[in-house]
Amino acid sequence: MDPSEVEFLAEKEVVKIIPNFSLDKIYLIGGDLGPFNPGLPVDVPVWLALNLKQRQKCRIVPPEWMDVEKLEEIRELERKEDTFTPVPSPYYMELTKLLLNHASDNIPKADEIRTLVKDIWDTRIAKLRLSADSFISQQEAHAKLDNLTLMEINTTRSFLLDTLNCMYKLRSNLQPGASGGKAQDHH
Amino acid sequence: MSDTLSDDASGGDDGQEDVMTPAELIGKLEEAWLNEKFSPELLENKSEMGECVMEQLTHMEANLQRVRRGDVKASVHRMEIDRIRFVLSSYLRSRLQKIEKFFPHVLEKEKSRVEGDPSFLSPEEFAFAKEYLANTETYLKAVALKHMPPNLQTVDMLKAVPEPCLDSFVFLRVRERQENILVEPETDDQREYVVDLDVDSQHLMRYRAIAPLVSSGAVQLI
Repeated sequence: MDPSEVEFLAEKEVVKIIPNFSLDKIYLIGGDLGPFNPGLPVDVPVWLALNLKQRQKCRIVPPEWMDVEKLEEIRELERKEDTFTPVPSPYYMELTKLLLNHASDNIPKADEIRTLVKDIWDTRIAKLRLSADSFISQQEAHAKLDNLTLMEINTTRSFLLDTLNCMYKLRSNLQPGASGGKAQDHH
Repeated sequence: MSDTLSDDASGGDDGQEDVMTPAELIGKLEEAWLNEKFSPELLENKSEMGECVMEQLTHMEANLQRVRRGDVKASVHRMEIDRIRFVLSSYLRSRLQKIEKFFPHVLEKEKSRVEGDPSFLSPEEFAFAKEYLANTETYLKAVALKHMPPNLQTVDMLKAVPEPCLDSFVFLRVRERQENILVEPETDDQREYVVDLDVDSQHLMRYRAIAPLVSSGAVQLI
């Protein structure tokens, strides 16, 4: 999957905005939005929030977890634990990137937040590499991956799955009688 | 702009039990999209769902025709339409890619289907697969086979084209709790064992073990 497609899914997440215009309810196929009143916070999907922001029609209220203190706590926990800790949002990385790139003026301490989220991401990806390594060297057939986000899975997907398929192919050719000579797709 | 739609998702079939709101329909489309993207084999066709989504889109577009240019609401609706259209085309495209990749096997499966069972292919996809097979055969004949000795002039497509590898690993998220899913050993000195799949837990395992759960909707590929 392309990372932009993961970002596309993240754009469906809901975020609070404070509009500077008024508009009645909008009846979208995916649900109703609004009504919009100047100064009154309202929930909209991220794709709309960013569009309105780019047209200078609103201010984005950062999600609750996008806060230096909270993120510092998460970072410490993530560093302390060997397993993956629960993340504040299943799309924390994408949302951070989207909101900081397009609405950094609405987010207090944007630079610190960027660094913190990057630290959390790096710690988690390092863990992910370690567990992928042991998954392969132990020749496991099943792994539980709770708390991993789609973007994290996606960074390792093609490499890990191709590797596993190649190893499977090599092994099944070694074992006599096992699907020998049968053409199978291994991407 | 007036209320464009709110209650006509089921496409006018009355007396049906599974009445879906448009929002649920879009949710289903996204699930099907991800499943199709990540499963090694072609999944059941959901042409009914695709038609419903198209109906929603054309209906909305027809409404937008009547709105003057520059209307803020209309631009929001257009953005939403573009997003849904993207998912729908990406979904259909990934199906076509699989049909191109596995066409003899797809057609074979369709041939051996029991009368009355739902088809894996939509009528359009079926026509596409047949045409693709015919074109490939004609092409092979024209460029190579007719120059071969007579006893080597046939190619068995089923043997020439690789089958989907159901032993591929996939990532999945559990929607409905499952017990005693058999995990086959990787090597001879390992033993098989069973795992329980809890709701919302995520796993990495072979597609073959959970293939029926993907079609029943109990797990979602991610």
